[in-house]
This record gives sequence, C-alpha cells and structure tokens, in this order.
Amino acid sequence: MAYRWGMAVDLDRCTGCEACVTACHAENNIPTVGAGQAARGRAMHWIRVERYYEGDFPDVRVKFRPVLCQHCDAAPCEAVCPTYASHQSEDGLNAQVYNRCIGTRYCGNACMYNVRFFNFFNPEWEKPLNLQLNPDVSIRSVGVMEKCTFCVQRIKAAKVLIKSENRDLKDGELQPACAQACPTTALVFGDLNDPESRVARLSHSPRGTKLLEDLGAEPKVTYLQKQAWYEPDAH
Amino acid sequence: MVTAACTFASPGQPSGTWAGAPPSRWGTSPVVTPAHASAGDAVRGFFGIRPDARQPFDFSHQIHLSKGVLCTDCHTGVEKGPVAGIPSINTCMICHSQIATDRPLIKTLTEMQEKGRELDWQRVYGWVPEAHVRFDHAPHIRAKVECSTCHGNLAEQTVAQRAVNMNMSFCVSCHKSKQASNDCLTCHY
Amino acid sequence: MDRRHFIKLTAITGTTAALTACGNPENQVIRFIPEEDIVPGVAVWKPSICPLCQAGCGVLARVMEGEAEVFRNGQPGVIRMGLVKKLEGNPADPISQGKLCARGQAAVQVTYHPDRLGSPQRRVGERGSGQFKPISWDEAIAELVGTLDALAAAGDQGALAFLTRPRRGRRLDLVAQLLARFGAKPPVAYELFSDDVLRRANAMSFGSHQLPTLDLEHTRYLINFGADFLGTWNSAVAQSVAYGRMRQGQGGLRGKFVHVEPRLSQTGANADEFVAIKPGTEGVLALGLAHVIMVAGIRQGSAAGRAGAVIEGWSAGLADYTPDKVEQRTGVKAAKVERLAKEFASHLPAVALVAGAPLAHTNGLFNALAVNALNALVGSVGQPGGVAFAPQPSAAVVTRPLQEILAANTVPKVLLVDDVNPVFASPASWQVKDALLRVPFIASFGSFIDETSALADLILPDHSFLESWVHAAPESGSMTAVPVSAGPAMRPLYDTRSTPDVLLDVSRRLAKPISPALPNTFEELLGADTPKGVSPRTPKGVSPHTASGDGRTTGGDKPFLFAEAPRAKAEGLSVRYTDPQFDGDAAQYPYHFMPYPSQSFLDGSLAHLPWLQELPDPMTSGMWCSWVEINAQAAEKAGIHLGDLIEITSAHGSVRAPAVPSPGIAPDAVAMPVGQGHTMFTRYASGRGVNPIAILAPSVEAATRQLAWSATRVKIARVGGPDASLILFAGATRERPEETHGRGD
Repeated sequence: MAYRWGMAVDLDRCTGCEACVTACHAENNIPTVGAGQAARGRAMHWIRVERYYEGDFPDVRVKFRPVLCQHCDAAPCEAVCPTYASHQSEDGLNAQVYNRCIGTRYCGNACMYNVRFFNFFNPEWEKPLNLQLNPDVSIRSVGVMEKCTFCVQRIKAAKVLIKSENRDLKDGELQPACAQACPTTALVFGDLNDPESRVARLSHSPRGTKLLEDLGAEPKVTYLQKQAWYEPDAH
Repeated sequence: MVTAACTFASPGQPSGTWAGAPPSRWGTSPVVTPAHASAGDAVRGFFGIRPDARQPFDFSHQIHLSKGVLCTDCHTGVEKGPVAGIPSINTCMICHSQIATDRPLIKTLTEMQEKGRELDWQRVYGWVPEAHVRFDHAPHIRAKVECSTCHGNLAEQTVAQRAVNMNMSFCVSCHKSKQASNDCLTCHY
Repeated sequence: MDRRHFIKLTAITGTTAALTACGNPENQVIRFIPEEDIVPGVAVWKPSICPLCQAGCGVLARVMEGEAEVFRNGQPGVIRMGLVKKLEGNPADPISQGKLCARGQAAVQVTYHPDRLGSPQRRVGERGSGQFKPISWDEAIAELVGTLDALAAAGDQGALAFLTRPRRGRRLDLVAQLLARFGAKPPVAYELFSDDVLRRANAMSFGSHQLPTLDLEHTRYLINFGADFLGTWNSAVAQSVAYGRMRQGQGGLRGKFVHVEPRLSQTGANADEFVAIKPGTEGVLALGLAHVIMVAGIRQGSAAGRAGAVIEGWSAGLADYTPDKVEQRTGVKAAKVERLAKEFASHLPAVALVAGAPLAHTNGLFNALAVNALNALVGSVGQPGGVAFAPQPSAAVVTRPLQEILAANTVPKVLLVDDVNPVFASPASWQVKDALLRVPFIASFGSFIDETSALADLILPDHSFLESWVHAAPESGSMTAVPVSAGPAMRPLYDTRSTPDVLLDVSRRLAKPISPALPNTFEELLGADTPKGVSPRTPKGVSPHTASGDGRTTGGDKPFLFAEAPRAKAEGLSVRYTDPQFDGDAAQYPYHFMPYPSQSFLDGSLAHLPWLQELPDPMTSGMWCSWVEINAQAAEKAGIHLGDLIEITSAHGSVRAPAVPSPGIAPDAVAMPVGQGHTMFTRYASGRGVNPIAILAPSVEAATRQLAWSATRVKIARVGGPDASLILFAGATRERPEETHGRGD
C-alpha cells in the first residue's frame, strides 16, 4: 500500500527550544543569509516556532507552535504553479521540483502558512563550512522556491533500505531531522495510511486540530492542542 | 572573472560553494551567475554540452577487464551506496605492487604512492547543478541493471567515455519499461 | 546561469554566445592519498560528546566521504576523507537519549568555521590587536617550554596559572595534575552563569556539592524558581525529554508546571501558571509555601531534616513567613501563596527547582537553601519525581575563582588559557582585561581569536572536539550516567594539536620533566582508566532503560535509580533572609536589569556560529542582533515602540539596543540576552550587538563570591527611532524589501 506521510505536533510537549530549526538547517543545506538579507525578510527556516502571548503581565500565558509545510492534500501552492514544479507526490508529499521551478513565486503567495522560501541569490558557504553540506540533498540555486520536504532524502533512503532487506518499514524508524532532534518528542512523523502508526493515532486525538483548517487546504500536519492543568483528584 | 570552468554536480556530491564562483556575494549578474560563470558556460549548460573528462593518463578498462578484474573490484561503492567511487591509487597498488612493476607508468604510480600523492581522476558522467538529479547506484545494481546499460561495454573501451546520452528521456524510458516509479521525487529532490 | 536567464539574455540582446572550449580546471593543488577506507555516499556513525555546555550529551556524528582542503606535514592539499556532516543525539546515551538541542546541532560548525585557527600563532601586533603570524609547532612548543623552564629555574612555579572552564572530565583532571606536579596552584575556573551557588547550597542542605539530576518524568507538580531548565540550565536535553513525558506521558496524568520569575523566559513560557515575583525574593516565597504546608499539618517540619535545619526559624514553623508577610516582600498575593502551597503538597511527587537569576543576587545562597528546604519538606529529594544527586566516580577538581588572578599582587607571570573568555563574559568593572595585560606571558589553546586570546602572546590551537579524543564526567542529567570517552569522529583538517596532548608533550620536554611521568597521549590516558566506545555510560549492574515504541522508557518497577544522598557533617550553620542588595539607587536607576543566557549563545561563547546567529530567538524571533525587552504597557506609557533605540545605563556604563516591548516582563525590569557584543570573535560575531554583561556592577553573591549578575539597577532612555539593528523573523517571512524592517507584524 502506498504511504501517506504526515506529522502530528503535540503543542503540550513543544517547549519552543528550536532544536528542530537548527536540525533542519544542518540536514537540508539551508543557507544562512546573513544579517543584511535577514533584515530584508530573506532568512530561510523551513520550520519555525511561532510564539503567541495571551493576556498581559503578570497574567500572561504563551503558546509555541512549530510551523512547517503542512503538506496539504488540496494545496493552494500546487494549483497556481504554471510549471507543475509544486505538485503532490505519490506518497502525498507536497513536492517542490527544483529543476522545474522558474521562480514565479506564485506558490509563495498562495501558501497561507508562509512556509515557502525563495532563493534570491545563489547560496554561499564560506569555506570550509561547505564541508558540512549533506551530500544527499540538493543545493538550490538562485531563482527557485524551496520548502520543507519532510526530509525526502531520508524517505528515499529508507525505501531503498527496506527494499534491499525485503521488509516493511517499521513505525518510528524513519524520522525527519526535526522530529529526530526534538527533545520532548513533540514532533511525530509517520505513515498516515498505517492505522497503527503513532502519527495516525495521534492525528485522531480529540486534541487534534489543523492549522487554518477552515481554509480547506486539508493539511497532513495535525496540531494537538495544549492542555490546561486540572486537579486530577477533582475529576 | 569569467574564466571558471563548467561545474557538474555528481550524484551525492554537491559542490558547496559553486566552483569557480566569483568572490563577490549575493548580487551577481542575472546572466553570468556563479552557477555558470560565463555566457559560454550558459550556452553549453543550456544544450547539455559538456567537455569530455581529461584523465591523468589513458587507463585501459579493456585490459583490466580482459584479465578477469571485475567492475566491483575497483568501483567498490557501487553495490553499497549511491556512488560507485573512483579508486584511490592505493587500490591500483593492491595488484600493481606485484604485477607489471617494471612498466614506466606503474613505476610512476609507485613513486606517487610513496610520496602520498593521489591521482586526479575526472568524473565522466554528471549533471549540471540545476538539474537537481540524484542518482543512487545500489538499487539499480540490485534491480539487475547491467553496468553497460549506462556505461557501455567497457571491455571494448580503453578510457571510459560517455556511452549514452544521459538525458531525462533515457532514464524515464528505462523506468517505464521496468515499471519503476516516474514520480518527480524519484530523482529530483 | 540557468535556462530562464539564458532565454532572457538571448531575447534581450539577440545574440548567442560563442561556444568556446570549456576544459576542466587545471588542478594546481596537491592531492593526498586518502588515509582511511570510506565508501563514498554511505554514512557511518561515530560517537562523540558535545562540548558546548556542561551537560555532556552523547552524540553520534554522521560521517560521509567528501573532498577537503587540508594541511598535511605543513603542506596544503586536497584529500578525500570522512567528514562529519551532522550530529544527532546518541540513543544509547542516558543523557541525550537520542535527542539534541539547537546548540548541539550547530556544534558541527565549530570544526568547519572559516575563521578557525589552522596552526600555532605568535602575536605580532599590540596585545588585543588580534594580529598574529603562523609559526610551527616546534617553535610554539619550544617557546612555551622555555617560558615554563624559566619559571622553574627561578623557583617561581607558583606564578603559573591555568585559566579554564569548570567542566568535569579527564581534561580538567589532567590540567590539575600537571599543575600540581609542576608546583603551581590549582586551575582557575570561570563561568559567567556559574551554578556554584546552587552547588554550595546543595552541599549545605544535602551534603552533595553538585547539580541535581531531575526526574521530571514522574513529577506531578513542579514549581520552578527561575531555572531555565528547558533552555540553557544544567542538562537541558535530558530535562526536556523528561518534561515531554511529564506533560503527555504519565498515562493521562499531566503534571502542573508553575514558573516563578520576574520575567517570562522561554522555559517559563511553557508554564501552566506564571507567578511574577520581586527579584531576589524567591526564597521568601519558597519558605512561605513551606510555612503553609507546615501550618496546615500536611508535612512536619522535621521531615526536611538538615535542609530545614539550616534555615533560621524552620523548627519554629517559619513564623516570619506567613502568607501576608510573604506578600509584602515578594508581591505574590497571600491567597496565591496558600493555594500554591496546598496544591504543591497534595500532588506528590512534587518538586521545586531553583537556578539562574534567583541565585545571581547578593542573597542567592539563601534563595537556594530555601528551595532546598521546601523540596526536603515534601520528600522530593532522592525520590522518583524529585531531585537526586548522581553518584560521582571521583571528587571534582578543586579550582580557584577568577578573582585570585585579578588582584595586582597576585598577577601570574605565565597564564595558560583554555576554552574560556572572561574578558568578554565579565563586567567591565572587574577590569579583567587590564589584569590580563599585566600578565607578562599568556598562551591560549583556543581555536579562535576572541577578546581573551587576542591578549595572548602565543596561540596553540586545539583540534575540534570531532577531531580528538574527548572525555566528559557529567555531574547530572542521568542517574545511570558514568564518565565516558570517545575517539575522533574525523581526521584533523589543519595543523592543530589536541590540547591535552600538547600539555603532556610540554610536560616531558621541560628541563626538569614532570614526574612521575604521565602517559604520552590523552588517548593512552583515557584508555588507562575509562571505558570507551558507543554506549559505555551504563555502570555495571544497572540495566539501561530501553526505549519502547511510544518513546516512554521501561526498566522495571523503579524507573529511576537513586543513590542515597550522602550526608556530610552538618556545619552547625543557620541562614536567615537578607534583602537582596542592588547596585544603583532606586530613584535614579528605576529598573532591575536582567541579563539572561541566550538560547543561542549561552554566555556568548557560541556567538561565532552562523546557524545560531540566524536562529530566531524563541520569545522575540530576533536574529543577528541584540535587543532589550521592556514591559509592553510601560513602553507604551514611555512612548517606546518596537525597534526604538534605547540607552540602558547603570552606574558602571551604558549600552544601546533596540527595544522589544513584551507582555512577559515586569514593569520595573528590563532584560537583555547575553552573547552579542563581541568586539573580536570571528567574522560572524565581531561588532554585532552589545554586551549587557559589560555594564553590570561588580556585585557578588555574599557567601560564594560568584558574580551576582542580576543585582544591577539601570535607567533607560529612548535615544532614537528604529536604527535598523533589530532583525526579527516573525512577520517577515515574505519578501518586503521596500518596508522598513524591524516592524514585524
């Protein structure tokens, strides 16, 4: 059966530590753009942690929310791409095919999650920082959009591995870099088509919601709402 | 600065900083980019025209294969991972510390090894970086694709040459005939 | 150039470029034969230990073949070698448990930093100018040996000082051993955000001079007094792993987290309840809670044992700490004190933590002892769900405080500096730079030129941790952790040498060699006394927890193995509350100044890593910059808006930074992240932002002489509109170059 990759994000576990952000940079050859370009809004973070305050001091509460590409089933970015660079893959990934991309940036406009990033220049790693680059991941050139791939290179490698070993993929065996690094296991990745997978079970949690759900993009990332504390003995 | 050579990314080998990139930072010309340092490069890149590899000497695949050496004896990575691998001089000397040691070329190799110097083999295949093609040898070998399908019959070649035009239709038609996936993400990511 | 640009070109100019030959580049560089067998394109995983903080997380380095420019035998060339591509937590390590923090992920950039020193350097410019010229190792070692020989010949061995960080492990042990055998005093240790106040308190309360290990996984109620336990304090990864389970792992039981601090830190932002408190009065609240618990008869005061006995008035029921009195001193409502106390005592296991700002006051020791007593009262010491002290294989090395080498009459003649930058990370009022300028000879082992190593006469750069044998003996993080060593994950890129090896080499070359002689190399030394390899952190007789499918640990009935906290002889001392002393008159300097360790840079030692510079701060989303956090309503009143340039002035200096109004900070406080403001620390950190530590008062915690970095008062003034120095990620994920940046929406 085909895979259908998805993620569950437990906001009750997320502490906003941003381990996922650096892990993603390290895995996916995401360039740092430097202060000047960052000030122009060109910093690239395929995953970011949004922070929301509620209330005023001293009765203030905070929510963190990691936001990455939601890999929507009805992705608005796909509909607007004139070259089909942005399309749905066999496994339900919202794929960005760099060699097709001509840089119209329509997809970036269409995406309501702001998770697509444009390469305004050819990335540069000041030597020898380039030695860190992951050989399994393309270096995107000037003029293409890029975004979270759910670490498609790891998905590819896992598929090659299980085929060579003639077995099925075990749940939890395959993790994108963000989920692997996440100290609190707030990010859970897996196959939504496997009803026994942890991500499938979490996705059906009563705490589960989708980001901007009413816009109808049918994201494959489920957010489990932060819980309020209650006295267990009182219930 | 437009003298830099063409760069060809190889599977599993991003070049990092674009080789030959001008030292200037982000704001490069829209035409002459670090990816293609000259207009000539751009044209060749557009038509997929690439120079032939220039090897340090004319290594004869034909002689070695005729002596019963297997492809995998030297290209050891081909069954294990994405990259077949170009052998180190140490690999040459496994045999040539004993065999044909009186030949001038082998003497040179022996000297080089003693000095700790490596041969600078050039890669024969490869794609322009913008193709964003990723190729993994091992699953193709496991799927019983013969080396010669892409590399030609090296038993008849001396220096390895490009035997096929490695364009997308070449890959796609083979994938079709073998019912392998032709999803974009199979090769482009 | 790609197709679209090609088409553009031909369309515009109507020309086609000539097809000229494009040969492969003439390869001028030397190619070396690979020194290892490594299959290209296939990753191998090698164990190592993250050195960036005291936690000592076990990591796995993903090594793949690549082509690197290296130095071999003094010659530059190109080689195919195994290169570390990424770090992951080591699943077999009981501390990291397969996870890693943002800083640990970025540790790989230490090795590949473009400004890393590749060979020994001799200073050629003025001290502090940062001008050095490369020299050979023979020259460098001969110079160091000659200097030490001169000291020994004059019988002045005591004038040698070694300045380092207090990281437990064989590296520091070795330094201490060599110093002792040479005839010098113990190493001088400096850490800006030191936990020595807490260690001292733990020794007094529980007889353990070390940081606690937390078992948050089983905690049902957590009151945290200022500890940044999910960010930068103690063993943050291990604590975060357990925290995730505390929230959503206890079979439907979700532990409550109450955070007490004047400012909502990243850790505090996760709390169910935030209790704002007056700075320096945290201990009063802790004793107020204890008072309520005792009065309500939930626990007897005697249950706290020695931890209670060191608090004055404990046995009498803490009559000075009634909820009303606590409200007066702390600003926390009496009713809230009552409620928190009862919740805390009735949801066991409950635990209280204290660290960070509450201990960085002049009365820090009191605050720590008060929280310790509260823990002891509810029985959370050495119990599941509480705090415990991991068994230590050997006593920690005795170190001396930085102050010992600052005074004019105790200036060392030879100073060796390893992995510490006190010129940056200390108040200007301490005049550390002036003190070091008086030292006749300074040698540094640093890999980078920073504010301290720029004063050195000689730099003998260390390998990166990925290139060398490393050892760590974490004092906390896991009860099953033991000291561990790991070999190099990759070969060295440059003509650098492992500092322990250099020290051993020097010790043999002295005119009067160190005796008895030590092993030849650090590797031999480690091989002699510690296990090595992938997962040796499990002591014999203890079965490690194994991760099951849902990420929970299993390991028998008692999920956490606790050693009985050793009880040292009581010192017969009792401590009473004293008001925290703040530097600066409250009328003239109305704001509490709260510098805090940055998520990215800790004490500033990581500001050179570009990934961390571009990592948005969790609370403000700031990148590549400094800022000052100010209460949103107070800012509104003062007419201060996001990005406005603010001058923050203490009695000891002033800095300017853009304002970030925030609802998460008290109206009478301003906060700044520490880490930026380096004058000299690689291309990425130099001249960026400001250093809030510089303007601190030289106040120290009264009992331990540790810097009281939370005890300074400041005044603020708006000195201008946005000056473009504030760079935020939030609200600016799209390209809007025409807009004035800094006004994130």
